Amino acid sequence: MATENPNADGFGEVSRVRGILFEYLSFGASVFGLVALGVLLVYVAIDAFDLANASPEWLLTYFLTLVVPFLAFCLYSANDRDVTRRALVALGGGLVAVAVLFSAIEALLVPIPRLNWQLAYLFVVAAPVTAYLAYVGSRGRLGAVGFGLLGRLVGGVAVGLAVGTLFLVLDALLWFLAYTIGVLPAVGLYALGRVRSSPRARTAAAPVGLVGLTAAVFLRDVVATYPSDLIIYLWTIAIPVAAAGAFLVAGRRGRTAGAVVGGVPLAAATAGGFLAAGAGLPAPTVLLAIVLTGVPTAVYVSRVVDGGEGLAGLGLPLLLAAGAIAGALIVEALGVPAPNPWLDASFLTQAPSRTPEQAGLYPAIVGSVIIIAMVAVLSFALGVGTSVFLEEYTPESGALGTLTRILQVNIANLAAVPSVVYGLLGLGLFANLLGLGIGTAVTAALTLSLLILPITIISAQEAIRSVPDDLRRGSDAMGATRWQTTKNVVLPEAMPGILTGTILALGRAIGETAPLIMIGAATTVFRAPDSLFSRFSAMPMQIYTWAGFPQADFRYGVVAAGVITLLIILVGMNGTAILLRNRAERGS
Amino acid sequence: MASSHDADTAGITRRKSLAAIAGAGALGLAGCTQSGGSDGGSSLSGPINIAGSSTVFPLMSAVMEDFAEEYPEIDPDISSTGSGGGFSNFFCTGDTDFNNASRPIQPEEEELCAENGVEYVELIAATDALTVVVNPDADWIDSLTTDELAQIWRADPVQTWDEVRDEFPNEEINRFGAADTSGTYDYFIEAILGEEGHTSDYQATEQDNSIANGVAGDEYAIGYFGFAYYFQNPDQLKALGIDDGDGPVEPSLETASSGEYTPLSRPLFTYPSIESLGEEHIAEFARYFVEQTTNEDLVAGDVGYVPATEETQEEQMGKLEDAIEQAQE
Repeated sequence: MATENPNADGFGEVSRVRGILFEYLSFGASVFGLVALGVLLVYVAIDAFDLANASPEWLLTYFLTLVVPFLAFCLYSANDRDVTRRALVALGGGLVAVAVLFSAIEALLVPIPRLNWQLAYLFVVAAPVTAYLAYVGSRGRLGAVGFGLLGRLVGGVAVGLAVGTLFLVLDALLWFLAYTIGVLPAVGLYALGRVRSSPRARTAAAPVGLVGLTAAVFLRDVVATYPSDLIIYLWTIAIPVAAAGAFLVAGRRGRTAGAVVGGVPLAAATAGGFLAAGAGLPAPTVLLAIVLTGVPTAVYVSRVVDGGEGLAGLGLPLLLAAGAIAGALIVEALGVPAPNPWLDASFLTQAPSRTPEQAGLYPAIVGSVIIIAMVAVLSFALGVGTSVFLEEYTPESGALGTLTRILQVNIANLAAVPSVVYGLLGLGLFANLLGLGIGTAVTAALTLSLLILPITIISAQEAIRSVPDDLRRGSDAMGATRWQTTKNVVLPEAMPGILTGTILALGRAIGETAPLIMIGAATTVFRAPDSLFSRFSAMPMQIYTWAGFPQADFRYGVVAAGVITLLIILVGMNGTAILLRNRAERGS
Repeated sequence: MASSHDADTAGITRRKSLAAIAGAGALGLAGCTQSGGSDGGSSLSGPINIAGSSTVFPLMSAVMEDFAEEYPEIDPDISSTGSGGGFSNFFCTGDTDFNNASRPIQPEEEELCAENGVEYVELIAATDALTVVVNPDADWIDSLTTDELAQIWRADPVQTWDEVRDEFPNEEINRFGAADTSGTYDYFIEAILGEEGHTSDYQATEQDNSIANGVAGDEYAIGYFGFAYYFQNPDQLKALGIDDGDGPVEPSLETASSGEYTPLSRPLFTYPSIESLGEEHIAEFARYFVEQTTNEDLVAGDVGYVPATEETQEEQMGKLEDAIEQAQE
C-alpha cells in the first residue's frame, strides 16, 4: 500500500553543508599551493626580465603588436562566438577590476612592492586568458596547424641545442667512426632485409653493427686524420635526418617533393654551419639546430599542404615574428625606455663573473644538461629493469617471495632517504672507491641516478602492475614466451605510466644541490665540461652561490634569471617526456 | 681521323678536368680535417681545482675570471666549502690544488696533510675586517668593547642586552653567526673569545646573506661576518665600532689597512699544494694571484677586502718562488 504519511521514514533530508564545505575545502587546498607558487614565479619573472622598470608604454606596445594578434588568431581558429565574448569580457572587465582593486589595496591596505597595476593585469588577467585561448584555439584545425608548426620550430631548435651540448662531452671522432662503420652498415642491412624481405640480411644487421662499433673503438686512436667537426655532424646527423624526412615525404608525394623537403633544410643547415664557422659561432650546434628544426618543419608543412585544411595556420610563426619586429621598431621609433633584462643572450652564453652585468650561466647549463641526460638514460634503464624483474620474474610465494617482499619494503624506504646521504654514498662509492673522481660529471650522474632510482622503480612497478592480467594470460595462451609477453604486451601497455614516473623523478634530480655539494661538485667553473670526467658545476649550485653574493644585483637579478633558465630547461625536458608519453599512449 | 683526334682531345680534357676536380676537392677537404690525437702543447692548459673558505671565494673567483680570460685553455673550478671543510675533505686528501682559508691552517689539519704527504705553502691573499652588525633601527647602540662582545658570544653568554651594558634595553639577544666549519668562526674565537669558546646558542650559517637577513629582521639581533657583505650593502645593516681599549673604531678599508681596526682585522690565506705547483699552469696562476693581491680595483672595489701592501706581496712572491723551485726540481 502507498505511504500515507509523508513524514514516515524513507526519504528524509540529509544536511548538505558538510558536502559543500568539503568541496570548498578541497578547492582551497588545490588553489593554495598554486597561488603561492604563482606569486613567487611572478616575482622571479619580474626580476629576471627587469619588468619593474618596463614603462607602461613599452608593455602596451608589445601587448598590441604581439599579444593581441595572437589572441585574434586563437579566437579566429576557435570560431566560437561564446568564447570570443567571454574572452573580451575577461580582458576588458579584468582591466578595470585589476586597476581598481590594485589601487584600492595600495591606498587602503599595504603598498605592493615592485608591482604596478599594469603588470598585475598582465600576470593575473592577460596571461591566464592567453593560455586559455591558446588551448581553445589549438582545438580548431587552424590553431592545431599553427601550434604544430610553432612546436616543431621551437622543439627543433631546443633538440638541436641539446644534441650540440651533448657532443661537447662525447667524443665526436669516435662517434664518426662508430656511425660510419657500425651504425650505417647495420641500418643499411636491416633496410635491405626489409625491402627484399630477406630475413638473413635482417639478422645479420645486429652482429655487423656490433663488429663495426668494436672496430671503431679500436680504430679511434689508429686513424690519424678525421674530417672537421662540422663535416662529421653533417655526415652523421644532418644527412640521415634529411634523408629520413625526404623518405617520409617521397613515399606520399613523390620524389621531387621528398628531395625538396630533405634538400632545402640540409642546404640551409650546411650554409648556416659554414657561415657560423666563419663568424666564430659554434658551427656544429648551428648546423644541428637548423637541420633538426628544418626537416620536421618541412615534413609538417608538406603534410598540412597535402591535407589542405587549416593552411592559414602556417602563418602563426610569421604573425608572431612580425609582431615582435613591429614592437621593436615602434619602441625604437618612439624612444620608449625598454627594460634591461638580466636573462638575455649573454647570460646564457657567458661564464660566471664578479660583475652582475657580465655574469653568465653557460658552463652550469651545459653541466646540468649533460648530467640530466645521463641520469635519464641510467635511471630509466636501471629502474625499468628492476621493476620488470620484481613484477614479472620473481615468485610471489615461498622463501623467495618473502625475500622479494623485503626488497620491496627496502626500496620504498630508500625513496625517503635524504639526498645528502646519497651524496655521501656517491662520494664514498663512485668518487673514491671506484675512482671516478671527485666532482666529475659521471660521479654526479651516477649519484643522482641512485637518488631517483627508488622513485622510478616504484612508479614503474605500479605501471606494470596495472597492466591487466588478462592481457598476460591471453599472450600466454597464444604460445608467447615470457620474454615475448613482457616485450610485446606488458611494456607497451605500461610505458605511459613508466614515463610519468620518470618525468617526475628527473624533475627532482635536476634541482638537487645537496648531493652535488657532497660529491665535491664545483661552485663555479669558467668553461663548459668537455668530457664526462671533467669537473662541472650545475645550475642549482651556481644559483645557490649567487644567492649568497653580497651585491644586491646578484641576489635579485642574476639569481632570478638563473631560476627562470632552470625552469625553462625543466619545462622543455618535461615537455619532451610528455610528448613521448602521449605518443606511447596513442600507440598502445 | 678527325674523330680520333677529337676523341684524344676529349680524353685529355676529361683527364685534366678530373685531375683538376680531384685537386680542388683535396684542397677543399684538407681545410675540413682535424687530427685524431689530443692537441696538447698550447701555452698554458690543464685543470686547476680550488676549494675552501667562502670568505675568500669571491676574491679567488674574481682573480680566476681574469686569468681564465687571459688563458682560455685552462680549466679552473672553484668550490666554496668553508676553510675547514676544504682542508679536511679535499685539500689534505690531495684532491685540490689550492685551499682558501680565512684563518691559518690548524694543527689537526697539518697532521692530516702530513699523513697524506700533501705539502703546501701559505700565501696571504688580502685582509678582511670582520664586521659586527646590528639592526639599523637599533639606535641605542653604536659600539661594543671587546669584553662586551665576548660576553655576548662566549660559551656561557649573557641573555639580555641590559646585562651587557646597563643603558641597553631589557631584551633578549638573538645571535646570528658563522658555522663552525667556517674560518670566520675560528678567527672570531681566536680574536675575541679565546679560551672561553663560542656559544652554541645562535643561528649558524655559511651564508652571509642569511646572517644579514636575520639581523635586518630583528631589532635586538647581532651578527658578524666578513667585511665584503657590509661593504656592498652599507644601508641594510649597521656596523658597530669595536673598542679594543683605544676607543671605538668602525670597520672600513682604511681602518683595516692602517691597523687601527683591531683585533678583528684578519689576514685571508690561500694554500697552494707544492706538488701542484710543479705544473706550469698552476705555478703561473699562483704568481698571477699574488700579483693581483695589490690590485686595488679588484680586491677593494669589486670584492670589498683590503689589498695587500707591496711589502707583503714581495714577501709572498718570494715564498711562492721558493716553493715553485722546490716543486719543479
